[in-house]
Amino acid sequence: QVSVLYFARSVELAGLRCETLSVPRQITSLQLWEEIVKVHPRLAVIRDQVVFAVRQEYVLIGDQLLVLQPGDEVAIIPPISGG
Amino acid sequence: MEESEDVPKDFIKLKSEKLSVDEVSELVVSPYCGAVSLFIGTTRNNFEGKKVIHLEYEAYPSMAETEIKKICRDVRQKWPSIKHIAVHHRLGVVPITEASVIIAVSSPHRAESLEAVMYCINTLKASVPIWKKEFYEDEYSWKENKECFWANSEK
Repeated sequence: QVSVLYFARSVELAGLRCETLSVPRQITSLQLWEEIVKVHPRLAVIRDQVVFAVRQEYVLIGDQLLVLQPGDEVAIIPPISGG
Repeated sequence: MEESEDVPKDFIKLKSEKLSVDEVSELVVSPYCGAVSLFIGTTRNNFEGKKVIHLEYEAYPSMAETEIKKICRDVRQKWPSIKHIAVHHRLGVVPITEASVIIAVSSPHRAESLEAVMYCINTLKASVPIWKKEFYEDEYSWKENKECFWANSEK
């Protein structure tokens, strides 16, 4: 079980800021995205703009294999606009 | 006076209260430094002809601090003479003309701190997980920095 955190536009599309999700321990970042979109289909529209942050490291949505531990933080990161 | 008493420090803060230029510059002042360089990001009242009423910032706080720390580490590698670095970013509502970010860097001579401040704000815009929502008279928009390293690569 991982903690999924939503930010900015993804909060508006998912309707919440955080939740726990059960996912396989080893999963590609694309498969992880697909699991999340199953729960929140409205997120599909931002697929091309977001990246993940897994344990606070940026991960592109694609083939990268993730090895997740229980309680890991996975964040949906829309394009940033700080400063 | 021993220079070891004035160990280089990074001062990073995310806060919802109004930012203070005096406070941030005082953090980096050092008797060994002849230069303090500052950048202040303020909120503009217009975007593409639309009137901006105010901005709202949100952050992934723990990761934002970590990313800013990485920027400080990079600054110290590129410009080893840099003494102190302070980055204060405001969260929540920021009214027009108020500061949303203040960056201050001190160094013995001015070239390094001037370059380091520019590097800090440019890299912050490319890598720190903070988001800005711009409110117009009848709608709002989530902004996207052109520096954002993944948004542009998809296009």
